[in-house]
Amino acid sequence: MKFITALKTALGVAPGCEKVNEFLAEFVEGALDEKMHAQFEEHMNMCKCCDHYLDQYRQTIDMTKEVDEVAIPTELAEHTLAFLRKSNAFSQDQGSATS
Amino acid sequence: MQPTDSKNPGPLGTPPDSGDMVTTTAEGAKGSISLDALMAGDEKAFEQLVVQESPRLFRVIVRIVGDDDEAASILQETFLQAYQRINTFRRESKLTTWLYAIGINLARASLRKSRRLSSLEDQEVERMQPDFNRGMFVETPAVWDPSRVTELSDRRQLVRRGIEQLPEDYRTVVVLRDIEEYSTDEVAKMLGISSGAVRVRLHRARGALRKLLDPHMRRMPKA
Repeated sequence: MKFITALKTALGVAPGCEKVNEFLAEFVEGALDEKMHAQFEEHMNMCKCCDHYLDQYRQTIDMTKEVDEVAIPTELAEHTLAFLRKSNAFSQDQGSATS
Repeated sequence: MQPTDSKNPGPLGTPPDSGDMVTTTAEGAKGSISLDALMAGDEKAFEQLVVQESPRLFRVIVRIVGDDDEAASILQETFLQAYQRINTFRRESKLTTWLYAIGINLARASLRKSRRLSSLEDQEVERMQPDFNRGMFVETPAVWDPSRVTELSDRRQLVRRGIEQLPEDYRTVVVLRDIEEYSTDEVAKMLGISSGAVRVRLHRARGALRKLLDPHMRRMPKA
């Protein structure tokens, strides 16, 4: 970490690694206020540890998004509608919305 | 500093229910159903809700309980309870958010009943977060090399196993926020917790997944 950033962190006028990490979810979501977001970006640009961690964090999110698709059982909705009719929630002679 | 509200759009960019219409979220079948008709117990309107929301709600439930048959059963019970309790919906959220909250609660109850346990405990998730000393990283995180796991099927398997190991509270926020891409505020409403609590749980879950993926993703040292 560059000296000036380390000094700011030590003086408590800029966030350190732990503070940045604590609010990483807000940071990647763009949910921090403008001033805090700028401070975090400045920290990331100066700190190799946080830069590497952020890269891992983003790759983790990206890999999570591409996880296996769930196979949807055939006639899932039809079976649910049949269950509702059987449970007397629906009238018995109701036609299916899918028909 | 308090976390601010999410700026992310709703699922698939759908707006909250407006006026007396329910915007459903099913992919390829996005449409509107009259909320007044649903609240009045109109079977046709409810059938439309079942048809349009079943696939996505099933995906969420099966990822929580990990069993197709159990998820299908919970899905049926979810719609039954929703139909019977539709007059308790207070229009303070999207109807689909209210519906998913019922399904998630039933899925959690099923997990507790079956005593299916995750392989990780809450305390282990805490221990999988990075260590700091005087506010600074103790160790520099390794550089990840995506080319180490180039096959999509291998990456998916790694992540799926990781998600399955997470305790249910953590798994559910990952499923809803990172996989199904609901906004943080919607996830908060579904789970009955604050948006800040969702982000804290999500952050720890991502940190734990990162730790599980780390050995597979580290750049290999040059020979």
